[in-house]
Amino acid sequence: MWKTVLSLICLSLALLVPGCNQEEAPVKVNLAKKEQVLHKAPANVITYAYLPQYSHTVSYERHRLLVEFLRRETGYNIKQVFPDTFAQHMDMVGQGKIDISFVNPFVYVTLAKRYDSRVFASVMEGPGSSSKFRGQIICRADNPAIATLADCRGKRWIAVDPNSAAGYLYALGLFHSQGLRPEDFAEIAFAPGPGGQQEKVVLAVWAGKYDIGSIREGTLGVVRDKIDLREIRVLATTPWYPGWVYSARAGLDPKVTAAIARALFKLSATDKEQRRILDAAHITGFVPARDRDYDPIRNLASQIGIHLD
Amino acid sequence: MRKPGLRGKLYLGLFFLLFFFSVLIYSMVARIMREALLEENRNRGISIAANLAARAAEPILTLDFLSLKNLVDEVARLNDDISYGFILGRDGEVLVHTFKGGFPVEMKGANTVGNRQQFSRRLLDTGEALVYDYAAPVTIGGERIGTVRVGLLRTRVETAISRLLRIVFLITGIVTLAVGFVGAVLANSVTRRIKLLQQSAEKVVRGDLDIHTAPTLRENCWEVMHCDNIRCQAYGKFYHRCWYLAGTLCASCIAGDYATKIETCRHCAVYKKSAGDEIQSLAESFDYMTLSLKERMEELQDAEKTMREQRMLLKTILDATPEFVYLQDCQGKYQAVNRAFCHLLGKEEDQIIGKFDHDLYPPDRAERNIEENEEVLRSGTLLEKQEAIESGSGYRWCHVMRMPVRSPEGTITGILWSGRDITALKEMEARMVQARKMESVGQLAAGVAHEINTPLGIILGYAQVLLEEIPEDDQRHQDLEIINRQGEICRRIVADLLKFSRWSKSTYSFFDPNEVVEEVVSVMEHTFNLDRVTIRCLLDPLLPGLFGDRDKFKQVLVNLLNNAHDAIGKDGRICVTTFFEAASGELVMTVSDTGQGIPREDQGRIFDPFFTTKPVDKGTGLGLSVSYGIIQEHGGRITVESPPGADHACDKAMDRGAAFLIHLPISPRRTEDPEKLIERRSAA
Repeated sequence: MWKTVLSLICLSLALLVPGCNQEEAPVKVNLAKKEQVLHKAPANVITYAYLPQYSHTVSYERHRLLVEFLRRETGYNIKQVFPDTFAQHMDMVGQGKIDISFVNPFVYVTLAKRYDSRVFASVMEGPGSSSKFRGQIICRADNPAIATLADCRGKRWIAVDPNSAAGYLYALGLFHSQGLRPEDFAEIAFAPGPGGQQEKVVLAVWAGKYDIGSIREGTLGVVRDKIDLREIRVLATTPWYPGWVYSARAGLDPKVTAAIARALFKLSATDKEQRRILDAAHITGFVPARDRDYDPIRNLASQIGIHLD
Repeated sequence: MRKPGLRGKLYLGLFFLLFFFSVLIYSMVARIMREALLEENRNRGISIAANLAARAAEPILTLDFLSLKNLVDEVARLNDDISYGFILGRDGEVLVHTFKGGFPVEMKGANTVGNRQQFSRRLLDTGEALVYDYAAPVTIGGERIGTVRVGLLRTRVETAISRLLRIVFLITGIVTLAVGFVGAVLANSVTRRIKLLQQSAEKVVRGDLDIHTAPTLRENCWEVMHCDNIRCQAYGKFYHRCWYLAGTLCASCIAGDYATKIETCRHCAVYKKSAGDEIQSLAESFDYMTLSLKERMEELQDAEKTMREQRMLLKTILDATPEFVYLQDCQGKYQAVNRAFCHLLGKEEDQIIGKFDHDLYPPDRAERNIEENEEVLRSGTLLEKQEAIESGSGYRWCHVMRMPVRSPEGTITGILWSGRDITALKEMEARMVQARKMESVGQLAAGVAHEINTPLGIILGYAQVLLEEIPEDDQRHQDLEIINRQGEICRRIVADLLKFSRWSKSTYSFFDPNEVVEEVVSVMEHTFNLDRVTIRCLLDPLLPGLFGDRDKFKQVLVNLLNNAHDAIGKDGRICVTTFFEAASGELVMTVSDTGQGIPREDQGRIFDPFFTTKPVDKGTGLGLSVSYGIIQEHGGRITVESPPGADHACDKAMDRGAAFLIHLPISPRRTEDPEKLIERRSAA
């Protein structure tokens, strides 16, 4: 019996002994040795900005490879910058902080009007590789009160931005053609905060905060992973308008513009590596563009009473 | 070291069990909690770093230093165990940090994380505290655009761990003490009752069956049932439960013992109220078993006493019977014997019981016994015969029976041997044959004497006539004297023969035996004195009168005195005594001498006719026969002792001589008329 008791005591004491500490040995760090952090603005940078219709990360993901390609092809230190809003984008162009803008046609005509920006290329996108694009008016699929555009009267409308083409102006033009004026809606709101406005419109309608929303065609595919698209119904689609454009700020060296334009026009979907760049940017190709190609936009603005300056 | 008792073992076991499991639980819980807290802390650090990395992606893209600074400051502010936080750009340049007075140069390279890693953790020693440094990459679409670093104070975690361990230790201690206290109370309750059981068992072993192990109840069965039936077996039994007792008289009770009634009792209110736990049931069962044992013991003692008495009775009967009895089993082993048989074999009982024939008898006799046993076992019938059995005092004739002993089922379980000593009967038969032979001889002698008597009378008559005619000086006269004298001898012989063969008529009357003795002694004393033989008489003066033939009594006395004289020859002493034996109502006369005595082999024949050891011319061998017949005629008996017993010896100093003892009834039987007795005896 005493042997058993002794064994139990030994076992108990053995359990009391803490197990081997397998924790890593600490790395000694001297906190006393410090330095001041200073950020110097890089010189000779060509800034490239994508109108923030989507979030910055989406913008970055889409145009990262394209910017790298341009940097590589042109030899210029091209760097993508991220304005938070359409207005900020236009202001930065005016301030000379954005050299190359990838913007919608309405912003372009505004920039051209205000800051003498010059268009040098237009993009082709979509399944038909078209240089035009259009907008969509959406509502919740289970909303029985909205079946036609006329039913939108008195409803709450959320748009992307007052400067958004497909996200506001095209839809406003469509409503205008149907006899609906901004004052006919209970409310016209714009997506809040920086970046990602297109997605915010879809999510606001999906959440039921607003009855209808206006977005660029193709936005629903962006939010495919966030919501069930069967819960969203496309109420109407606007007419086609000229697509997005690349413009250079006034004062940018034309050689730079020409180099970038050449590099863009060089991209071909047949090349496997270049195809990957185009796919990431959701662009099928680039074509030369002239300022007068965007007169329909100017007409639309005039029609719905928007002053570009 | 003294071995611990059950209580000690239980306490010791409980203590070590609690100690062991407390230590085990504490160590396991402590380890698990420590690991869990550390893991939680690690996960928390990873979560903070990953969350910061996700939130920092766009500010890094836009180089929004304010947002980035807000992010790291917010992380540090919301988590008080965050030591620091900083964000590195794509090229490893520090974008923002929470350090005061500049960024520590060594901190940047203290922990690195690869593009494919989700995080990296390193333990850093800042000199002030140990810090878990978490590094998480900031990526967009797989493109690394920066790194976030967060430092969690390990000291804070360890403080929390220590506090938790103290709480766990305290709880474990309290639980251990509580369990130990409850266990000790339970163990004490169990061991106390088991000790009581053990003490009761020891009492039982010592023979004390008056034990009370079960506790008394708050409410006994008669109180529960409001019963006052004092005839009930359970009434007043404070230590015995009613369901164990037979003879309870409740209306709901069924008759019978525990096994019969227990199932019914389980539904009874008394049982439901009074039945205890297993140990109490054990104690109650033990009490009941002891009570039953006591009753059984008493019954057994009574039965044993009765059996012992029966055995003694049987033994007494067996030992008292003169027959030899023994019992053998079927294998021949001796199971029981009686005293007579032990005496016959000259052995003690324990020298015979358990033995076999070969152990007790010579081989031939043993074989014969075995064969006879086998015969009885085979036939199942009685075997009866007469045989001579050797005993310590020589051969004895026995009439034996060997019979089978059967069980109640009829099977033979043994053999009973019974033998009756018929040696005396055999001797009587021999004497009867001899007597009949003597009777024939007597009758022949009487016939011869009767035929001789007449011519002998004529011879004597003529001889006497011639004696008167022939002068005395004549030689013929002397010859005639010789013829006459020898003829007288012949006539006496013939007279004796006639007395023996034809009893003369007796004349019965009351007379004083002492007087007859004195008369005969006075006549014969002188003659005896010539040979220096003295006669000493010790006569009982209070002797009652004897009813009989005085002359024949005298003749008997004369014969005995003559025989005594002949046995002595010269220089001896004869003692004659008379006394009355009140117990038997008989007169006892003894005639003892200091003569040569009678050999033992002759003592059985001295009363036979014509038996004599005297010379031819000294006796006819009819004296004692005649005396024997006279005494028998008087309803008495005559016996001889040689050498005489101490009470009858004439000279107690000498171990020789003989004594004749005559027992005679003083008076005839009361129911018999003396006259008829005289007639009957005369006829005889």
